[in-house]
Amino acid sequence: MSRAQPQPLRSAAAFFAVCGMLLAVPVVQAETGDPHEWLGRMTSAVETTNYEGTVIRITGGEAEALKVLHTVDDGVIREKLIAQEGDGLEIIRNGNEVHWILPERQSVLVEAWNDQSTLFSTLPSSDIQFGNEYDVMVVREDRVAGHKTVLIAIRPHDEYRFGHRIWLDKGTGFPLQTQLIDAEGQVLVQVKFAEITLDKKILASDLTPSYNIENFKWYNPSRREVTQVVDSPWGVDDLPVGFRMISMHEEMLPGSENAVAHLLFSDGLANVSVFIAVHDGNNFAETSNVGASNSYSILMDNYRVTAVGEVPPATVERFAMSTRSR
Amino acid sequence: MWWRMNEAIRMQLSAFVDGELPDNEAELLLRRLSQDAELRQHVAEYMAIGRAIRGDTQVAGVDGLRDRIAATIDEAPSHDDAVDEVPAGERMIRPLVGFAIAATVAVVAIFGLQRMLVIDGQAPQTANNQESSSYTEPPGDTLEDVLLREFRRKHAESAWQQRISTRLTSLEFSEDFIEIESEDKEVEAATE
Repeated sequence: MSRAQPQPLRSAAAFFAVCGMLLAVPVVQAETGDPHEWLGRMTSAVETTNYEGTVIRITGGEAEALKVLHTVDDGVIREKLIAQEGDGLEIIRNGNEVHWILPERQSVLVEAWNDQSTLFSTLPSSDIQFGNEYDVMVVREDRVAGHKTVLIAIRPHDEYRFGHRIWLDKGTGFPLQTQLIDAEGQVLVQVKFAEITLDKKILASDLTPSYNIENFKWYNPSRREVTQVVDSPWGVDDLPVGFRMISMHEEMLPGSENAVAHLLFSDGLANVSVFIAVHDGNNFAETSNVGASNSYSILMDNYRVTAVGEVPPATVERFAMSTRSR
Repeated sequence: MWWRMNEAIRMQLSAFVDGELPDNEAELLLRRLSQDAELRQHVAEYMAIGRAIRGDTQVAGVDGLRDRIAATIDEAPSHDDAVDEVPAGERMIRPLVGFAIAATVAVVAIFGLQRMLVIDGQAPQTANNQESSSYTEPPGDTLEDVLLREFRRKHAESAWQQRISTRLTSLEFSEDFIEIESEDKEVEAATE
């Protein structure tokens, strides 16, 4: 696995940071191995492990529980998620086709997913080039959902991104708990298995809907036209260190009569989108926050520029304020 | 301020709050509310003041919306009603405009108004809770307009982040669902 080499100034900072952490947790780290190897094991475990459990997601004082059955066969993901609160929503995935079953509405929403996103799409993989922006380290051994775990910490070097804590099953590397951490060490989002059975044999019949959906109405989200933009007039002048543009699109979105430009940036772990839309004249809030997601909107000439991401408020503000038409 | 509102809209709103506005007019009002942030602000102030004066804790028009969404779904044309227009053996999709727009607008209106009330600190207070409250509730999420919600959803999809959670929270807001006619039902209908 290759990783970006640090630049001189940053390597000094990284060195002292790593020294500090080594002093804090010298013994356990030595016993529990290379954190990047653990991330590699985690990636493999997420891709290949069958499991059944109940996962709890806590953010902003709200908690939601999902019962999850997950199996992978020849690389094809099949899973069933059942919301434990609210209206009994079920999500059934068979490869790239996903059915959202809403029993109270007697409806099924059908979506095609072209990616491999799962419950754990937020987790870093061993392929991520952390570069100079994060330190990755093994902190200690712990216990989650009755399993012995190893706690991995991913700590940012600056105030422009959040940190992560990941508890991995010591036997398999499977992630049993994750936390998104702000600069003060506060937990913004936590996903944790309350109970889980790893390597569970899951039958096809286990993945069928719990409801009789014979008479349900079926729906598709309408298709949106997406156009790849090769040379956009928009760009961001003052990117925080480590961020680079990943993609650039123009597309029609509900709420906008004109095509919206969408620029996606990433540092390998944190992602920020910048949207540029013709201003419709309506008022909008400058800042907004939902859980760990922050946004910052400004009016630039006749355009509304909005930066959105699971990053600190200062980051989206910097993206929005330094967006320019070239 | 709320008294600068167009008189006709204020009358309409008053009827809506009392649950007396006809459904077709209520839908138009909600649609306008969903598209006009300034009007939402005025309405929030108007409703907060009205509720404070009356000491109400219920708003008939708003509280009935969820039931009305459910009713809209129930009233949607069934597959069997539409089979004459559907070629047998071919999967057809068609917009279900009524349900989609009603559900979207209603949910936006409820959340928009509730959040506006919290943000502006104008939530109605009865004499009782003014005396007994020893702490304040934490603020809710800040106000989001429709476009911002779309930006957030699109970002989450693009970044492959928290896809499931994003859909769980954005599912109600999708205004562009298209009904799918199942092949089985079409074949059944054709053979009857």
